[in-house]
Amino acid sequence: MAETVTITIDGQQFQVPKGINLVDAAKMSGTDIPVFCYHPKMDPVGMCRMCLVELGSVVTNRETGEPDVDDNGDPVVRWFPKLQTACTQTVSEGMVVRGATQRVRDARDDILEFILTSHPLDCPICDKGGECPLQNLTMAYGPGESRFVFDDKIRLDKHVPLGDLIYLDRERCIQCARCTRFCDEVVGDDVLAFHERGRRLQIVTISDPPFDTKFSGNTTDICPVGALTTADFRFGARPWELDEVPSICPHCPVGCNISASTRLDRDFGGKKVIKRIMPRQNEHVNEIWICDKGRFGHHHARAEERLTTPLLRRGDEWVAVDWDTAYSEIAGRLKKAGDNVAFLAGNNLSNEDLWELRKLAHRTSNTPRLGVWPAFMTGADAVAQAGVGTGTRLQDMGPDSAILVIASDFEEEAPVWWLQVKQAADRGAKVVVANGRPTKLDRYATEVVHYEYGDAVAVLNSFAARARSKNKIDADFTARVDGAAELEAELKGTRVPFADAAETLLDAEDLVIFAGGEGLTLDQHRELMQAAANLLLLTGHAGKPNNGLVPVWPGANLQGAFDLGFSAETTAALADQPPTVWFIGSADPAAEDAALVQSLANAEFVVVSTQFMTPTAAHANVILPAQSFAEREGTFTNGMRRVQRFYTAQGPVGDTLPEWRIYANIGARLGGDKPRISAALVMRDITQNVPRYAAMAYPALAAVEKQFPDVGGDDLYYGGTAYTNTGGLGIQWPANAEDESARLQVRPVQLDGYQIEGLFAVPVRVLYDRSTLFEQSEMMHTHVPEPFAEINNQDAAHIGIVDGEVIRLNVNGAQHLLTARVNGQAPAGVVLVPQLLSKTPIVIGPAACAIEKIGE
Amino acid sequence: MNLIRGFATTIKHVLEGPVTIQYPEQERPVRERFKGRHALKRYDNGLEKCIGCSLCAAACPADAIWVEAAENTDEERFSPGERYAKTYEINMLRCIFCGYCEDACPTEAIVLEHEYRLSFNDRRDAIYTKDRLIDPPPHGVPATPQVTEPGQFDRSIPDMENPK
Ligand code: SF4
Ligand code: SF4
Ligand code: FES
Repeated sequence: MAETVTITIDGQQFQVPKGINLVDAAKMSGTDIPVFCYHPKMDPVGMCRMCLVELGSVVTNRETGEPDVDDNGDPVVRWFPKLQTACTQTVSEGMVVRGATQRVRDARDDILEFILTSHPLDCPICDKGGECPLQNLTMAYGPGESRFVFDDKIRLDKHVPLGDLIYLDRERCIQCARCTRFCDEVVGDDVLAFHERGRRLQIVTISDPPFDTKFSGNTTDICPVGALTTADFRFGARPWELDEVPSICPHCPVGCNISASTRLDRDFGGKKVIKRIMPRQNEHVNEIWICDKGRFGHHHARAEERLTTPLLRRGDEWVAVDWDTAYSEIAGRLKKAGDNVAFLAGNNLSNEDLWELRKLAHRTSNTPRLGVWPAFMTGADAVAQAGVGTGTRLQDMGPDSAILVIASDFEEEAPVWWLQVKQAADRGAKVVVANGRPTKLDRYATEVVHYEYGDAVAVLNSFAARARSKNKIDADFTARVDGAAELEAELKGTRVPFADAAETLLDAEDLVIFAGGEGLTLDQHRELMQAAANLLLLTGHAGKPNNGLVPVWPGANLQGAFDLGFSAETTAALADQPPTVWFIGSADPAAEDAALVQSLANAEFVVVSTQFMTPTAAHANVILPAQSFAEREGTFTNGMRRVQRFYTAQGPVGDTLPEWRIYANIGARLGGDKPRISAALVMRDITQNVPRYAAMAYPALAAVEKQFPDVGGDDLYYGGTAYTNTGGLGIQWPANAEDESARLQVRPVQLDGYQIEGLFAVPVRVLYDRSTLFEQSEMMHTHVPEPFAEINNQDAAHIGIVDGEVIRLNVNGAQHLLTARVNGQAPAGVVLVPQLLSKTPIVIGPAACAIEKIGE
Repeated sequence: MNLIRGFATTIKHVLEGPVTIQYPEQERPVRERFKGRHALKRYDNGLEKCIGCSLCAAACPADAIWVEAAENTDEERFSPGERYAKTYEINMLRCIFCGYCEDACPTEAIVLEHEYRLSFNDRRDAIYTKDRLIDPPPHGVPATPQVTEPGQFDRSIPDMENPK
């Protein structure tokens, strides 16, 4: 820990880090200062006055520099005449605090009495009741008796929908401004504000649509009262009735740690269900935030449409069969098919599932084809070399750091990383955003680079070239990089069109690169990742914390799939050499790729394990009902290579089984071992066979340590819902660059740009889509747009279409009716087509397209 | 002498009438504060007093009560305010008739009444569901859910008054 200062709290001396907030310092030293408005993740405002303390400082003698002492030998303290708010103080040497005096006690008592004058006291029906900071602090510090004049009580609206996800109870609000500050300062979406003055001060939403942010749920966590509640949980249970199960969000590569609050439910046959999803503190991953997709996207776990028994196709009909019949059928087919099988792994299979799938594949063939889905990103080898150092924490990145976000619509692809990068920018970190089009992160960027689609690799190359010409090559580091000299030679003379951006990145001490999914073709994406690794390795920004490459994979566990031997290149090759038998694990390629629909239709035999009847499953000969993340244990590896555990939150739906067990059972029919009895044992197999995962045994992954700030503590010190991490912080596997003795490789990248005459469609991703799992959350449906295409203003004017009009998009020989969006987002000549807004594949990679106006 | 005293006692009791009460033909009235089977109460307007807060379940030392709450709307109103009990069950085999639930209830919705004749042929019958516990609506008042005027019942706890 850096410099410390000595402070005295209630007569006891403590050493605390210099410059931290007094409330935090008190917590660290074991003294409580009650707060409402202060939150360690936000700047203090001093609005609630709950944290009043007596504050003073030791008087030092100007000549000697020693503290003055009184007759008893105690240091002389100069006290502030009035009580001070602790939350607005940063600790300094010689600070003296008294919190246990009668004067302070009286003040807290008065503040609470004052806050309660307008509080409705409907704790019995309040969702926060039982985990409410106002309740807790009133019990601890408040008046024992009420002098309350009920007739004077202020009456405000009790049921105000702020958008359709969050409800506001105006009477309960204690005007701490946490929610407005969260939206404004942390997220940067100016959607909530105070209205009116004094006792009538109220929260209003000022955006259209209301409360328009992807992080709205977090306000309900930090609200110190029950003024903000979610539509999802509303009256779902009382907090003390819930069982908290640590879990991992299955939706994106951030891998937010979540806690599933579960309870038995009569509407669900008296079985356990997830009542709400709350964030779980992990300062290395999501801190204490999650996005609304993670919070409200859990309903697939108990959806009515879940498949519950194995299904066999008989002609045009599905017949429910038992597992044995399904296994025998599949085993027979696999035995016959030999090398003619392709295995496709979806992006939210757990590592255990992937391992068993791989074992099954190796049992059918010596050179099995192991593909991933979706398959538009690749470059796991670049990540293995130059991935971010273990121990990286985005929240530590400040003025000395730079972050490059390239080829990504970051907020849509990885919301919580977006939030953290945005906050890093607020702290002074240099953020460079490079993409073929404007994205929301541009607002916070130090430099914005808008290249032409297809030039991402050239941009990275030019940055590397600039590093060379400005002597920013780290010679010590490149000594262990093979091919560095050749690469440097190759870079010589490269034009540097975005010199300012290059300088911004190269001047920083720490550099993290986030590489997203808009690298266009798979080949180009491989080069993009390599170019990013080249830049990092040449400049020595790898192998240490807060430096390195982070891929923004689509889905929660694509990293795990790559680690366990699956690849996107294999998937790509399947188009040319379609297999006769498909074995698909929780992927839905038929919703995204028209070419694959054809080969699925032509295949002899298709096996799909899935939770829902997807377009892909419709092609299957056998459907195996799989379990959701909530019904079983497992691990996901996030985009920063952190392997994290999730636990069983609810009982199985129907006859479903975890996918690893399904695959292992089929393997057993083909002469393999009996399946393991638990996911933990499957992971043990992985630790013994995959060197990178050697340390990932379940007990190790479950290890927790004290985190600071202790927002999660059960004492609700910081007044919010508890986010204690009891399930484990997970373990990152180290990149090669972190091993001092490892040799690293760079290579010049291919620069073939992407040439298309006329309009071309570029697939992009949106957070709220109709992907298999997320579309089951009905409450989010209003947030999922109808299929649309973003068209450049000039192009639109040229064709004569306006914003909101329905157009016909001709691409890859098919026609699609889409809503046109003409809002300056698409660069000239480009039509942006979001993926997975419908179940009909449109484009999977860049493609020439034409837009037709539909007559009036 | 002792012998005589013994016979005297015997004869005295022979002459007294029997003390046995012929239950179930005969019943003895219970005391005013007797704690028998629970009932869920209604207001005079027929709305349920229970707001589904689960405090009874929290207070219950025998873990006999199960409550699930849901949200009222003006089109389908069960109780005043936003919250009502969608499920309310008491397992009479677990209940020890301590009356803590009655004490815990903020709206005096659950009351231990004087009914004590509880017998079941099946242990599942011992779980009293909401429809078995709730009092019928007062005469001439519609049962719940009711359709109500917007804004009329926006608070769950009946109005609090200044202490007298
Ligand atoms: S709604 Fe909650 S967080 Fe927002 S100002 Fe009111 S009490 Fe604070
Ligand atoms: S940011 Fe990603 S991982 Fe985190 S809650 Fe949202 S969807 Fe889930
Ligand atoms: S004024 Fe300090 S916590 Fe609110």
